[in-house]
Amino acid sequence: MILLTKSNKGWFALFTVPLLLVFTTVVIIPFIIGIGYSFVSWDGIPANPKVFVGLDNYIELLKDDRFLTSAWHTIEFTVLALVLVNVLGLAFSLLVTMKLRISNAARTMFFLPNLIGGLILGYIWQFIFTDVFKFLGDKTGWDSLFFNWLIHPQSALYAMVIVFTWQMAGYTMIIYIAGIQGIPDELGEAARVDGANLWQRLTKIVFPLLMPSFTICLFLTLSGAFKIFDVNLSLTKGGPNNATELFAMNIFNEIFGYGHYGLGQAKAIVFFILVAAVTLTQVIITKKKEVQY
Amino acid sequence: MLAACGNSNDNKNAGATASGSTSSSATSSATATGAEKLKKISLFQSKVEIAEPLEKLAETYKKETGNEVEVWGSAGDAYMTQLQAKLTAGEGPTIFSVGTGAEAEKFKSYYADLSNEPFAKNIAPDMALKDGDKIVGVPYGVEGFGLVYNKSMIDPKDVKDVDSLTKALEKFKADGKNGLSLSQEAYFLIGHIINTPFALQADPTGFIDKLNKGEVKMADTKEFQEFAKVMEAIRANTVNPMEVKYDSQMGDFATGKTAMVHQGNWSYGMLKDYGDLGFDIGMMALPIAGNDKIAVGVASNWVVNNKANADEIKAASAFLNWMFTSEAGKNAIVNEFKFIPAMTNIEAGDLDPLSKTVFEATKAGNTIPWALNYFPQGIIVNDLAPAAQQFFLSQDMTGEQFLKNLDAAWAKGAK
Repeated sequence: MILLTKSNKGWFALFTVPLLLVFTTVVIIPFIIGIGYSFVSWDGIPANPKVFVGLDNYIELLKDDRFLTSAWHTIEFTVLALVLVNVLGLAFSLLVTMKLRISNAARTMFFLPNLIGGLILGYIWQFIFTDVFKFLGDKTGWDSLFFNWLIHPQSALYAMVIVFTWQMAGYTMIIYIAGIQGIPDELGEAARVDGANLWQRLTKIVFPLLMPSFTICLFLTLSGAFKIFDVNLSLTKGGPNNATELFAMNIFNEIFGYGHYGLGQAKAIVFFILVAAVTLTQVIITKKKEVQY
Repeated sequence: MLAACGNSNDNKNAGATASGSTSSSATSSATATGAEKLKKISLFQSKVEIAEPLEKLAETYKKETGNEVEVWGSAGDAYMTQLQAKLTAGEGPTIFSVGTGAEAEKFKSYYADLSNEPFAKNIAPDMALKDGDKIVGVPYGVEGFGLVYNKSMIDPKDVKDVDSLTKALEKFKADGKNGLSLSQEAYFLIGHIINTPFALQADPTGFIDKLNKGEVKMADTKEFQEFAKVMEAIRANTVNPMEVKYDSQMGDFATGKTAMVHQGNWSYGMLKDYGDLGFDIGMMALPIAGNDKIAVGVASNWVVNNKANADEIKAASAFLNWMFTSEAGKNAIVNEFKFIPAMTNIEAGDLDPLSKTVFEATKAGNTIPWALNYFPQGIIVNDLAPAAQQFFLSQDMTGEQFLKNLDAAWAKGAK
């Protein structure tokens, strides 16, 4: 008995210690160093001095209009993306689990955009929004819809939502499919015998039992949308006039554009706390709604 | 053979680390040329236009000397951020480029001393990048920008001041042509064109200092007021620059859809791809506040990373030496990169029409300086470009308001 626990402990250590080491060196330690940087004023050149300024960076970021605007745009983007990605993902998953003949083909097609990296997607859509849209506008005369979306502040943000949805909807679809397939058929059949229609079966049986999938999908889209950078960079570069500069890009520009390492780092810490708080709240709320059958 | 190579290396790299010299002796025995094999170095630079010929030059260098230079892809607008990230991470290139002025100042802790290199004595007077008395950078060449124009569409005599320029633009608009094209990239949208009102100040760097301290305002300065009028005329009469990219800007110019572009001699590289244009081109001054000169300066310099190890620094100097003294190197600089040489040992040779204008203006002293080199670092991309984007996207913003916004943007960027 003692022997067994001993070897168990050995196995446990063998698998966790390397992981713990890696996690500590690439996540924990840089994170702590990062917190340290947020209290200094530094331009990022190793040879130049780091001056300790206490909480000045945190005070300054609250006065930074560009940062606050960027925060608002990020929230706007995240809410729109969250709704659109999950509504579409869920719709796709219901569609492809309806045992249609094209189910498998449709599943592949919906998932395909997710296999293309965000940078490439951004450049492809940049071409669509600028050149193709303009071309369509010229040809069809519908230039109130088809114009260069990327040069107008509001439509450029919508363009980002569309590209992000295009990328993520297929991914959430896969998770929803797994959830739907995990619901036993007899529940739906019993309800049907009792005379429940499609809408009642969806809202009373499928959605409550899908709650675990909602938890995961909402978490993934929420954190993904908050942290988005690649699509932002390749599609709009934050323009026009910084109207689509989201959180991550604002931090990047603060650090590399202006060379304010400390201030950028302080923003990153605030950003981290915000993302963690929002996503944790979401997970707690949706977890509570999960039911067992 | 192997021993001989190793010895020669060891003698020459007295200060080099043991591992460095063993690896270089091992590789030199592999080539078995007998010539001294130098360590492989990397090169990173900002100009997209010379990316291809530079890679070809690196191949030629390898063929002639057996030494390797790895040319990293150029990054355009993102060059500075990538360079900084790489240098900070200790993975910096051996040779890299920096702009003259604020940019060079920012990275000065990285420059190796090149004063004693053979090519240093060939740098044209006042053109070298210096840190105190030490020469730390070699200029790419001189460059100039202004209004590049299609000679069959417009005569410089008709564009002498803001009024005549505006009239010309209105006429082109009425004819369904694009009179003057800017493009959406930060430097082509605002960075270069705003240089003119700065350069026309009696003391451009002094003016920039005062602007940094908030002692003067662009909105109150005559040259800037004229500049704003030009920007208003551009917005009212031409294709919105936000819809134009560098390549479409030059494409439309090459195909006769655009009469003028605010560009530099480097843009000839793009025009060349269109073959025979069917018309002659020239470069003239941006005619604000009586200006009749084009802006000429040193945009970029080659520097060697002093954080690289001694072997690499030695190999880097060898490459620069080869580039600035060998026939192949000199030929590439003039004929492939299309640079206007800033070295006394390189003949200008067969220059394209735009470079010729710049070269002749330089010789005659008929130029205004590149004040933009002394702008606070990064201000064009970070602060001025968004203000200009806003101006071009809102039709009702006045030039006066635009200048006020630029002043506000400047105050933020100069912090």
